Amino acid sequence: MRVDPYYVSNLSGALDQTQLSLQNLTSELSSGVSVNSLSDNPVSAGQNVVLLNQIQQDDSFTQSSNLVTGQLNVADSALGSVVTQLTQAISLATSANNGTMNASDVQSIGNQISGILGEVMSLANTSYQGQYIFAGTQNSTVPFSTSNSNPSQTTYAGDQGVNYLDAPNGQKIQLNVPGSQVFMGSGTKSVFGALNALVADYSSGTVNTTQAVADTAALNTALNYVSQQRVTIDNSINQVTAAADAVTNVGTELTSAQSNLMQADFSQVSTSLSLSETQQTALEDVIAQLGSTSNSLFSKLQG
Amino acid sequence: MGTISNAFSTISGALDADQSALNIIANNVANANTVGYTRENATFQENDPLTINGVSYGQGASQAGPTSVRDRVLSERIDQQQQLASASGTRVASLNTVQALFTPDSGSSSSGAGDIGADITSFFNSFSKLEATPTDNSLRQNVLSTATSLAGDISNAASSLNAQRANLDQEASGVTSQVNSLTASIAQLNQQITTTSPNGDAGTLEDQRQADLSQLSNLVGINQITTENNGLSITTTSGAELVSGSTSYQMTSGSVSGVTHFYVGTEDVTSGLTSGGGELGGYLTARDVDIPNVMNSLDQLAYSVSTQVNSLNNAGTDLNGNSGTVVTNGVSTDTNSHDIFAEPAANKVAGSALNMAVVMTDPDMIATAAFGAGTGDNSNAVALANLGSSQIVTNPTTGTSETPTNFYSSFVSALGSTITEAQTENTAQTASVTQLQTQSDSLSGVNLDDEASDMTTMERSYQAASQVFTMINSLMASTINLGETTTVT
Repeated sequence: MRVDPYYVSNLSGALDQTQLSLQNLTSELSSGVSVNSLSDNPVSAGQNVVLLNQIQQDDSFTQSSNLVTGQLNVADSALGSVVTQLTQAISLATSANNGTMNASDVQSIGNQISGILGEVMSLANTSYQGQYIFAGTQNSTVPFSTSNSNPSQTTYAGDQGVNYLDAPNGQKIQLNVPGSQVFMGSGTKSVFGALNALVADYSSGTVNTTQAVADTAALNTALNYVSQQRVTIDNSINQVTAAADAVTNVGTELTSAQSNLMQADFSQVSTSLSLSETQQTALEDVIAQLGSTSNSLFSKLQG
Repeated sequence: MGTISNAFSTISGALDADQSALNIIANNVANANTVGYTRENATFQENDPLTINGVSYGQGASQAGPTSVRDRVLSERIDQQQQLASASGTRVASLNTVQALFTPDSGSSSSGAGDIGADITSFFNSFSKLEATPTDNSLRQNVLSTATSLAGDISNAASSLNAQRANLDQEASGVTSQVNSLTASIAQLNQQITTTSPNGDAGTLEDQRQADLSQLSNLVGINQITTENNGLSITTTSGAELVSGSTSYQMTSGSVSGVTHFYVGTEDVTSGLTSGGGELGGYLTARDVDIPNVMNSLDQLAYSVSTQVNSLNNAGTDLNGNSGTVVTNGVSTDTNSHDIFAEPAANKVAGSALNMAVVMTDPDMIATAAFGAGTGDNSNAVALANLGSSQIVTNPTTGTSETPTNFYSSFVSALGSTITEAQTENTAQTASVTQLQTQSDSLSGVNLDDEASDMTTMERSYQAASQVFTMINSLMASTINLGETTTVT
């Protein structure tokens, strides 16, 4: 049977193939990436898009959670100060209500409570990065202001809006408590209502004890209510921290999954590389052996 | 005496025949590296005997001429496989330039540049970041810059695809002139073959025709039909006649709405050529099937993202308290005043990718707040961020809706698979061509060892004939001189 007389030149085609494979393996080793184009591994390339999306979403949530935590901490510390101020106001009011003080002492207490009122007012108007945090969603305008009437009236310019942050786990985390809810709750829950009433009670120096005791009790109720609202903020801080931690853990897993998908397996690539090299050397030897002119019948006939 | 003369003529005929055989061998050796050459065998033929005085004497042998060792069925199989292999090879090359536009993002920060998948994520993430502080100006600015990257990368990809399509168009139309010169040459060879060798193998002429057919098979998908007198008719795979006997029919090209179409006579054969094979088939498949598929997916993505984001941004309230929605008598109307992206024409998906652009310049116009809510509200930012994980893009192949990221993910997988399939197909077809070619070469190729051995045989045969001639010659001399050795030597 005749054979293909060009078999030696066909071997050079095989040599091209091994060289191509050497080139691919070398570039995999040097870049460390196994999927350099979509057709290298279409499924991995597709999964990679989804994994990177999740990783970057998680990164983005981590950044958001830092911002949000800052804002929530400011709200928490403001409410902490409010509680301190109100506790002090209650103790002042209680001492004024026991009937042992003269008019000027009472007036002085009224002045101190008035000072506390101003302090609480400024805490209620706390801003974070230029945004008023107790203004609901109208956070570019100062939420609380006081009229000069007697007793003074505090008005709220914000709204009832509440913002939520969507965590990657689907949790909705409350980001703010509207000021009206914290400081101007209905009836006896109103901080400003109680403080304004107490300032009015002590302004003349003569105390209507029944009224003053009732107003002090109202301030106490309001204080408890502020503490309750603070719990909401504290819960949010805990939720954000927990969500950010969870996201970081998931992120580590996702990143390792993504690396497994796209990165070259060095030991495997090195093994393949050495196999390809052996193959290439063998081919070259075969070609050199077969292609030599001394193998031709013509050369034998000459001798 | 008559028989000695006869022996003379017989042996000189043998010398002629051997020389002729050596000539054929020399021709084989000379053409050992000629593409398309088919090795030739010397054919010895016994001459008719001569009867002298009732006795039959053999008249030796003569050379019937070289016979090409050819298998037409095998050649035709090679041509057919070659058409498939060169179509898929061309298609793979075109698809490789397409996939270079969608290089996978390995995850390091530098590799994400230009990656549409990363752009989609960053764009929707920019809204998630606004959830935390919806009034922050730098975060708002970030929305516009990520939107610009997304729109820029999508429209760049689309315009590169258009450019590649135009290149393919150009290359495809360049094929016609080569096809025409080959078909003209085949028609001419047909005529020569029919004239010179209507009943047998036409040797060199037939080699030339076969070489032309191989080249033609590289270019277009064809059918070969052998006709009477050794002629050959050629049609495209879809049946349009290119060569009939000594006549060839020109393939022409013309532009139809910016795209080159191909004609034989007045018949538009473009779609037949697309599925036919050859380089032209590969170019046309990439131009008319593969690239439009990719473009369609990009258009769908661009259309869905642009319209959905625009509509949601118009539905909310921006930082200045304004909204893209006007309510008149309880009826809400989208005024498109707060479009982030250039709004595609209603239901006009085609062209959306190319035309994708950011039209919003003022970051304050990003509507993070719900309609009518305070400017510090974030619920519309939440809704916009959630678009990234909502099924807003319709997959043109499956008809199902997917999230933008999943859509892009299935798109790159599908594109990658298409290329892998084409590559596998091409590898198999090329292997088959190689196998057939080996088969054909083992039959028709010039083996120098064979020729060396044949040459030795012929040399010996020629030497033997010469010896016989010399002997007969001296015998003849003896006969003429009748024993006197001096007269004739």
